[in-house]
Amino acid sequence: MTASLLQAPRLHRTVLANGLTVLVLENPVADIVSARLFIRAGSTFEAPHQAGLVSFLMGLLTKGTDTLSSMAIAETVESVGASLGTDAAADYSVISLKTVSADFAEIFALAATVLRQPSFPLDEIDLERKLTLQQIRSMQEQPFTVAFNQLRQDMYGEHPYALPGIGTEATVGAITQQDLVEFHRQHMRPDNVVVTIVGRIAPEAALAQVEKSLGGWKAPATPRPTLALPPVTAAPTCSVVTQETNQAIVMVGYPAASVKHPAYPALKLLNTYLGNGLSSRLFVELREKRGLAYDVSAFYPTRLGLSQFVAYIGTAPENAATALEGLRFEVERLQTTVLSDEELQSAKNKLLGQYALGKQTNAQIAQLLGWYEILGLGVEYDQQFQDMVTAVTVLDAEAVAQEFFHNPYISLLGPEEFVAPVAAAQAWA
Amino acid sequence: MNSVDFPASVIRLENGLTLIHQEIAATPVVVADVWVRAGAIAEPAEWAGMAHFLEHMIFKGTDQLPPGVFDYAIETQGGMTNAATSHDYAHFYITIAADMLPQTLPYLADLLLHAAIPADEFGRERQVVLEEIRQAQDDPDWLGYQAMSELVYEDHPYGRPVLGTAEILQQRSPEEMRCFHQAHYQPDQMTVVITGGIGLEPTVELVKHAFRGFAPPPPCPPAASARVPSFPGVRREILHLPRLEQSRLTMAWLGPGIGQLETAYGLDLLAAILAEGRSSRLVRELREDRQLVQDIGAGFSLQRECSLFTIQAWLEGDDVDRVEAIVCDRLSELAAKPISEAELTRAQRLLCNDYAFSTEAPGQLAGLYGYYGTIAAADRCLSYVPTLQSYTGDRLRSLADQYLTPLRYVSTILHPA
Repeated sequence: MTASLLQAPRLHRTVLANGLTVLVLENPVADIVSARLFIRAGSTFEAPHQAGLVSFLMGLLTKGTDTLSSMAIAETVESVGASLGTDAAADYSVISLKTVSADFAEIFALAATVLRQPSFPLDEIDLERKLTLQQIRSMQEQPFTVAFNQLRQDMYGEHPYALPGIGTEATVGAITQQDLVEFHRQHMRPDNVVVTIVGRIAPEAALAQVEKSLGGWKAPATPRPTLALPPVTAAPTCSVVTQETNQAIVMVGYPAASVKHPAYPALKLLNTYLGNGLSSRLFVELREKRGLAYDVSAFYPTRLGLSQFVAYIGTAPENAATALEGLRFEVERLQTTVLSDEELQSAKNKLLGQYALGKQTNAQIAQLLGWYEILGLGVEYDQQFQDMVTAVTVLDAEAVAQEFFHNPYISLLGPEEFVAPVAAAQAWA
Repeated sequence: MNSVDFPASVIRLENGLTLIHQEIAATPVVVADVWVRAGAIAEPAEWAGMAHFLEHMIFKGTDQLPPGVFDYAIETQGGMTNAATSHDYAHFYITIAADMLPQTLPYLADLLLHAAIPADEFGRERQVVLEEIRQAQDDPDWLGYQAMSELVYEDHPYGRPVLGTAEILQQRSPEEMRCFHQAHYQPDQMTVVITGGIGLEPTVELVKHAFRGFAPPPPCPPAASARVPSFPGVRREILHLPRLEQSRLTMAWLGPGIGQLETAYGLDLLAAILAEGRSSRLVRELREDRQLVQDIGAGFSLQRECSLFTIQAWLEGDDVDRVEAIVCDRLSELAAKPISEAELTRAQRLLCNDYAFSTEAPGQLAGLYGYYGTIAAADRCLSYVPTLQSYTGDRLRSLADQYLTPLRYVSTILHPA
């Protein structure tokens, strides 16, 4: 709850001589410091035959440097009870750490080292590949994941958003040490990095720490890599996975606005209205009034590229057709039904209230600030987003629904005798 | 009643209700988290699933408050609300802007004290719970956990699924649920935790005013008798599940109940030594070096009557027997050989920091106090860090010898069908 926390002069933003951006926010309440090192390179930078490369690379950062073995890194972190992790997302990747204040300098220096000097040892590559391939296979155990992967593939085709960040068995099987070294050389450079530090630490001390560990890192003379994404052509489909599950999964997805599109705040509001919480429209209509589901919701991820607006439900297989009709009805009715002022205001209160609740811990604040910076929105976006949401009118919401909620991509999963007829009916529709 | 260092106030109201409060300066948020000693363990066996189903029905309103009004009121003020049920408790929480608490807490109290449990809503919500069960049955890890629980707990209610079964739920009536509700949602079974940006005095007034007028408890069928099992030897069960891509091995030992908190915390340390992080014993040997498992973890779960210590591995089916034998061997070693100072310190720092990291936000703090307040006493959580720090390698070794014996445990194995 930091509307005031995030404002100057408490938030310190500095750009080092080598182009690296540093954001520091002192928050002395708890004896904890959280930091993030964001890199402007997500899975969108992967060539199609290298899907999963960034996720693989990020996993290997903590598995060896020029001077430290994988186990030495783990021991350094675990012996002081800190955490050091990595993650790869579609639009960025990130190293996260959390320590008590006294241990921050040591663990931050280690994080800087794994970012700058990973050695990608061959035996660690082999182990990581083995673990990753099994993880890819294990995704098949979760019906929701299987249905969602199918929807994403159908919607995005050749676009990198089509695949889960972890890649496929074929692409991960082919990744080489040379691929890792090359990707690291191209993308891991100071002018592509944003560091955020939040917690019980003086801004000067935090900045000195970053200077010491990352200030001497030279940016290459070559320009930063730029992104060229293939276009996505909308051609809605209905796909089916047949499995003898106890529940059917029904999912509809509409191609939706990127974070930089003017429709973004209105779509976030519609997502809140339809799918967020116990008083959301889908929850009330399909669960509370009709008892069709335990889990029914909607999500609309924040993406630099074309996003998607997804509504889904898990339901008894015999209810699959009813559930599909119900999901589509609730989303698409917004094209012709204008929300009341009260409905829109409620959605705004809910969205902005929960947005504020998402800034309670140092880690949450470090994530949000760095994320806005790395996406190119800037830390001011924290306030701009709230202002834009406040300004949305009921007519804006209707216009956005009309622009985006046409024919959805449909993904069905469940026992054949129940889901196959639903899909067949779609083909005739 | 307050211990010297405990940062929260614990107040017993006249009607027997326990209030725990901690003001957190500079936060505009308040969390209200109400814990009721009415989890699955309070159910007669033939009512299995009642406590969890009731948790759903609490949100269906009272004579004053139609279904959905509460959710709407909280969420349209930018707040959040939800609930959860386990064997030892059910709890209900709201997170909301501090100045909205006086308007919303009375709603939550009304739901908890005077749930109407209307018959038509009962029938509809049962469908929702049946969907929840169907979803759980599509999750192999849930199925594996239930199989292990039944094997380790035998007839003890901890062995029953909190969700109950479709068959039992179909036979339950709104009258039975009202009886269960009124019998258990009584002030002496309830702890109200308020943390965040509100002072003690207004909190006490607010809670006193909202949590009054409890209905007198009706007679209600007693809870299933709860004999803590003591099985001899090793028990193994193998299940074959569809759509499984990888085998699982879960080994489980019974631990002490809340009466032996020091021992319980020691078992937490042993779990960290064995399998928390890449430099822990089992992860290092079985995943990093010998590469026999995809992952391995150890967990200690503190429960009121008896706790559970588990070691779980994800691995190829062919390696299950070998890994189980290695784990048994390493446990014997743990009980026989001294634990190094470095290993002990590492585990202590990991857990002490985890504790600090998990008490950062008001909601985390409220959850911690409510949980301890429900299964023991709220200020008992305060002994966690000093107890961990007082452990010696020798004392841990004898704990391992006593509790984690390879001669007496349960193992549940999942293979692809």
